[in-house]
Amino acid sequence: MSERTPVLVLGLGNVVCTDDGAGIAAIHKLIREYDMPEGVVALDGGTLGLSLLPLVDSADQVILVDAISADGSPGTQVRIEGDEVAPAVYERLSPHQIGVADLLAGASLLDRYPDRVVILGVVPDSIELGLERTPAVQASIPELVERIVEELTAMGYPPVRSENRDEGYGSAAHIARTLGV
Amino acid sequence: MTHIVVDPVTRIEGHLRIEAEIDGGKVADAWSSSTMFRGIEIILQGRDPRDAWAFTQRICGVCTTVHAIASIRAVEDAIGAKPPPNARILRNLIIASQCIQDHVIHFYHLHALDWVDIVSALDADPKETAALAQSISDWPLSSATYFKGIQDRVKGLVERGQLGPFANAYWGHSAYKLPPAANLMALAHYLEALEWQREFIKMHAILGGKNPHLQSFLVGGMATPVDPDAQASLNIHTIAHFKKLIAGAQEFVSKVYIPDVLAVASFYKDWAGYGAGVGNYMVYGEYPLDDEADPELYLPSGIIRARDLSKVEEFDPSKITEQITHSWYDYAGGADAALHPSEGETNPNYTGPEPPYERLDTGKKYSWLKSPRYDGAPMEVGPLSRMLVSYVRGHEKVQGLVNHVLKTLGVGPEALFSTLGRVAARAIETQLLVDKIGDWVDELADNMGKGELRIHDNSKWEPESWPADCMGAGFHEAPRGALGHWVHVKDGKIARYQCVVPSTWNAGPRDSGDVPGPYEAALVGTPVADPEQPIEILRTVHSFDPCMACAVHVVEPGGREITRVKAR
Repeated sequence: MSERTPVLVLGLGNVVCTDDGAGIAAIHKLIREYDMPEGVVALDGGTLGLSLLPLVDSADQVILVDAISADGSPGTQVRIEGDEVAPAVYERLSPHQIGVADLLAGASLLDRYPDRVVILGVVPDSIELGLERTPAVQASIPELVERIVEELTAMGYPPVRSENRDEGYGSAAHIARTLGV
Repeated sequence: MTHIVVDPVTRIEGHLRIEAEIDGGKVADAWSSSTMFRGIEIILQGRDPRDAWAFTQRICGVCTTVHAIASIRAVEDAIGAKPPPNARILRNLIIASQCIQDHVIHFYHLHALDWVDIVSALDADPKETAALAQSISDWPLSSATYFKGIQDRVKGLVERGQLGPFANAYWGHSAYKLPPAANLMALAHYLEALEWQREFIKMHAILGGKNPHLQSFLVGGMATPVDPDAQASLNIHTIAHFKKLIAGAQEFVSKVYIPDVLAVASFYKDWAGYGAGVGNYMVYGEYPLDDEADPELYLPSGIIRARDLSKVEEFDPSKITEQITHSWYDYAGGADAALHPSEGETNPNYTGPEPPYERLDTGKKYSWLKSPRYDGAPMEVGPLSRMLVSYVRGHEKVQGLVNHVLKTLGVGPEALFSTLGRVAARAIETQLLVDKIGDWVDELADNMGKGELRIHDNSKWEPESWPADCMGAGFHEAPRGALGHWVHVKDGKIARYQCVVPSTWNAGPRDSGDVPGPYEAALVGTPVADPEQPIEILRTVHSFDPCMACAVHVVEPGGREITRVKAR
């Protein structure tokens, strides 16, 4: 068994599909502006589905950051936890929902479902092709990042503001700049 | 005549819709439609071609690497960059490990449930399952206690209502033929495959860094340093880790995957008579073995027509065209024009019914996929095409594996032209690759030993070194089949970009001559016992391993429901 990750923060969504990339935009902003404390891993998971299983099933607590179809106007902040997570990923998430559902089901089937899964997200307006978020959703990204920070702080892992980051080829910052998130 | 609609057909991203006419318990005619628009080409216009891979990589959440590989190859072809030997080797390792993982996931986690009745597995006698498992393989996880444990675990999930991936299926359907003991064995291996793939895909983490998307792609080579003694590089420890993962993969594939495919196939031999399709097979070729301009390929390119296994035609990229007679696009040259991808156009013009709708007007335009054609003919792409072309070209390993499978099942080569043939070819290719991939690890280790550590051709990095106007094509054999990217670079920027993806070849609609695409042709003659539960249609379509995420990836304007699963 590989080593455990106390907290995994995983951005999900398709960055070339406008608001579906909200979770990706948020995770990159988080990585850009904060240093994660020891024990926290923050990653851009895209729409990789089952390939993310080794990350998720080796984590004790998981925060998924995603666009979430829910009641409320575009940009509305949404938080889902506990028993609401499974039905939400089957019925309410964005087009990659089956991938996320299979991911969580996979962890469950292997008896390694994380102790705690929280989904933080915003309601999308459009998931059509495009690199830009719609205005309401783009405006909601800073608050989404703040809520990730609050969630981590409440878990006992407060991130620290930072300007130090790796700008090298292939780094998260490089990819974020290329993709415009 | 009954008209049925299956929408969506895939459990993974994207929307594939099949409409079929059922007559006398069989599919009389079928139409394959993608109900979502694709247009990554539009996003790439005007961008730096060196960045294109980072965008194309995001087209698809299932094939994490394939669009990056095709993209860097296309740009290198255009600007004249020459990746050094280590870059070729690293790419072969990435491509092969992607293909191995993808094929195993496809069989166990996407396709097996078309053949394996999970509910029946819960009623099986674990002792019988143990006897069956021990009779077909010496894989150690085969005791009655072990199978009982699996059964209890899944029963627990079912009782708690957490069916997860096992929801929305046709359990108890008369088309399921496996005895309960075999269903339980397959269920156990479903879980083992899940466990195995999560270990094996660490190949990618090693090759591409801890980020889930491989970030080590680079036009002109790779960005992963190779140095036997340096910690932050691919080094001697990496080589040892690769070897261990590959040995585990060989065990799993030869002792679990292959025996399972043979066992399942033995109960479904009638499916060697269904799903033949267009009978034309196309392969671009993959796994360059040297660094010449026209390298030898481990899996060679070629065209087979009309199921004629006596000869292979040479593949000629200039013969590829895309038609839009039945697709929701306009061409400047008219609806019946056939354009080479280097001159391709992406002008969406939806003229279908306002969603939600009951039926598509299949006499007119009915899909967001174009109709790709080779020399005017539809072509099936994928593992079956690759194995057939290699077989006919005299690839000894492929011939050995194919003949072994045919002999074990007691069928002739014509059985390959079928739904079951696709399932078998995918397993055969997986065995072939787990047996081959270690050679590339050795080649990398040899280069390290010789001090050959180059990973990148810097000479063409700066746009000033490029021709002012150049075009290139990148060909790749993705797990699902032949993938091509075409790029036109003008004054250092992308002027035009076109992707023709495997699922477009296989799932595309009829062409200007009303000739059906591979899915459409393969479905004709497929038996359908119950039009309300058309599991047989899913079997044939899933045998192609549809991935509509690459083929299409945007919900159409007007916003149809995006989340409901109507059929698995």
